[in-house]
Amino acid sequence: MNELWFDIMGAIVTVIVAFVVGITYMGLSRKITARVQNRKGPPFYQNFIDALKLASKTSAIHHGFMQHVGPAFMMITSIMSVLIIPVLRGNAWFVNLNFHGDLIFILYIMVFGPLGMALGAGQTGNPNSAIGVTRGLSQMVGFEIPWVMALVALMMQYHTTSIVDLMNVQIQSGMWLMFSSPFAFIAAVMAMLGMFRYSPFDIVGAPQELASGPMSENGGKYLFTLMSSGSIFAFAKLTLYVDLFMGGAGNLVELVIKTFALYLIPMLYGVTSPRYRTEQSIRWFWGWPTFFGFLAIIYAVVF
Amino acid sequence: MINDKNSQKIVDFISNWARKHSIWVLGYGTGCGAIEIPPTMTSRYDAERLGIRGAATPRQADVLLITGYLTTKTLKRVIRVYEQMQDPKYVVGFGSCTINGGMYYDSYNTINVLDKYLPVDVYINGCMPRPEAVLSGFGKLQQLIGEGKANGATKYKENLEWYRANQKKVIPNWVMPEYNW
Amino acid sequence: MQEKKIKNKIIKRVKTNFKDARDRNDFKYNRLDFSVKKEIIPSVLFYLKDEMGFIHLSHISCVDWLEEGELEVVFILWSPEEKIKVFVRTRLDRDNPVMDNLDMIWRQANTYERELREMYGIQFTGLEAPDEFILEDWQGPPPMRRDFDTEAYSNETYFHRPGREDAEDVRETITKRSGEDIPDFAKKYSR
Repeated sequence: MNELWFDIMGAIVTVIVAFVVGITYMGLSRKITARVQNRKGPPFYQNFIDALKLASKTSAIHHGFMQHVGPAFMMITSIMSVLIIPVLRGNAWFVNLNFHGDLIFILYIMVFGPLGMALGAGQTGNPNSAIGVTRGLSQMVGFEIPWVMALVALMMQYHTTSIVDLMNVQIQSGMWLMFSSPFAFIAAVMAMLGMFRYSPFDIVGAPQELASGPMSENGGKYLFTLMSSGSIFAFAKLTLYVDLFMGGAGNLVELVIKTFALYLIPMLYGVTSPRYRTEQSIRWFWGWPTFFGFLAIIYAVVF
Repeated sequence: MINDKNSQKIVDFISNWARKHSIWVLGYGTGCGAIEIPPTMTSRYDAERLGIRGAATPRQADVLLITGYLTTKTLKRVIRVYEQMQDPKYVVGFGSCTINGGMYYDSYNTINVLDKYLPVDVYINGCMPRPEAVLSGFGKLQQLIGEGKANGATKYKENLEWYRANQKKVIPNWVMPEYNW
Repeated sequence: MQEKKIKNKIIKRVKTNFKDARDRNDFKYNRLDFSVKKEIIPSVLFYLKDEMGFIHLSHISCVDWLEEGELEVVFILWSPEEKIKVFVRTRLDRDNPVMDNLDMIWRQANTYERELREMYGIQFTGLEAPDEFILEDWQGPPPMRRDFDTEAYSNETYFHRPGREDAEDVRETITKRSGEDIPDFAKKYSR
C-alpha cells in the first residue's frame, strides 16, 4: 500500500516537473527567437502567464464530443509517454511505469494523441483544421520513417527493446550511443526537427496560412490543455532522446542541461529557416534522414 | 471558503494580472491601419516584450483590434468574429475612422462611430497612430484590465438589444448564426 | 516618327471601316481616342482586337456627364506589338443606360461590367453574373453617380459623433502658433 502511494506521488512529481521544464523551454525558445531577431523578447516565464490566462478564461465552447475530448487525448498521450520514459537513471521517484518493451510502446503511443486531436479537429468543421490535420499526418508519415529506422537499428544492435537496458549499455561501455551508433543518432535528430514542428517544419499550425491548423477552433481551457500537453510532450521527447543517445541523466540538473542542449537544435534551426511546403517537408525527411536510417540499420547488422 | 469575498478578490487579482500581461491580439486589418501593426510587433518596437502577440483565430484571441474604417460589409464579419471570441474579450478601436469616421466621414458605405455597434474598451486616435501610440493604447488597456474595468463584453451582453438594433439598422439582410458564446 | 505613322494608319483604317467614328488625334504620346455610337461598339472592339492587334483590355471606365444627361463608357485597349493604347468612348442615355454585354470578346470584361452595373446603374443586356459585386445589401441609388449625395446619405444612415464642426484649420493654427504668414499659394486652400 505504501509503495502504491509512493508511485502515485512519483507520477505526480514527474508530471509537474515535465510541465514546468517544458513550458519554461517554450518560453526560453520565444526569448531566444526574439534575441536572434534583434528584439528584447518576452520574459522567459511568459508562457506561464499565457497558460494562467488561458486557464482563467471564463468561456470555452466546443462543437461536439470529439472536439471536447480531443485535447484530452493529447494530454493523456503526453502524460503516458512521460510516465513510460525513465526520467532519471535509477531514481526511485521517477521510475514510474517503464517496462521491457517500452520502446515499442513509445513508438505506438506517440501517434495516438495526434490521431485523437485529428478526430476532434474534424468535428469543428473548420476547413483550416482539416487542412492542418492532413498536413500533420502527411508530415508524420515523413518523419516517422527515419525515426523508426533509428530505433530499429538500436534494437537490433543491442538486442533489447527496453530504454533502461539501453541506458545500462551506455553506462557499462562508458560511451554514449550517439558515438557508438552515430548514424542512428543523426537520423533520429533529423526526425526530431519534424517532431518539434518548429519552422521549417511548422506546416501543421502555420499561423499565417492556416490560422494555427487543428487547434484553430480551440480557445480558453482547451487551448490551455493543448499548450500544457505540448510542453509535457516536448519534455518527454527530449528525455527520451537523452536516455537513448546521451546516457540518461543522474540528477535533474544534468537532465536539464542535456535536454536543453538537444532542444537548441530544432529551435535554432527553426529561427533561421523559412517554412517548407508539405511535399518539400516529406521529401526532406525521405532524403538524407532516411539514408542515415538505412546506414544505421546496416551498421547495426554488420557490427 | 471559495465563495468568500476576499478569496474571490485574490483570484480576480491573479487572473487580472495574467490577463493583463498576456494579450493575444486578433488584428482585423481591412482598413489602412494594418500597416502599423508589423512595426509594432517586430524589432523596433517589439510588443511581444509586453506579452502582446498575435492570435491566429477568434477563438484564441483576447483583443479584437479594429484597424481603420469599417464598411457595412466588413462590420458584419467583425460582429461575427467578435461573437466567436471567448470571454473575457476586449475591443480596441484603432485610428480616427473608428472614432468619428475620420476622412471617410461622408462615405456612403463606412460606419462612423464604432462604439454604437460594438463595445469599445480603448480608442487609439490618429491617422495613422504611430507604433508608440499603439503601445500606449495597449498600456491603457492593460491598466483597465488590471483594475478590472475593461468590461466591454459584459456591457455588450447586458445591452444586446440596443447593439443588435443598431447593427440591424445598417445590415438589412441579417443572416447570422446564433452563438452560445 | 514611326509611331506617328502607325497611329495615322490605324486612324485611317478605323475611319474607313466605321464612318461615324470621331477621333481626337492631338496626343503627343502613344494614345488614340475614338468616340463611336453605342450600337457599333461590339463591332469596333472586335475589329480592333482581331484585325489591329489590340488584344489586351486594360480597363472599362465610366464618366458621368450630369449636365449633358449622359454616361460615357470608356474602353481602354492596348496593343503589345505596336505599344499603343486606344480609348474607345461611347455615350449612353443617363436615364436609361443600356448597352450590349461584351464579355465574349474579353472574359475579364465581365468583372468591369459588374462594377459599372453596381456603381453607375448601367445595364448590360445578356450579362450573366450575380447581382451583387462589392456592395452588400445595397438599397440606395448607384453610388458613383454625381447626383447621389453621399454625405446626406451618410448622415441619414450612420451615427455621427459631434465635434467635427469646430475642428480648426490646421494651417491657420500652425501660422498662429509660429507667427508666420500664410504663403500666397496656400491661401486658396485655407478655409
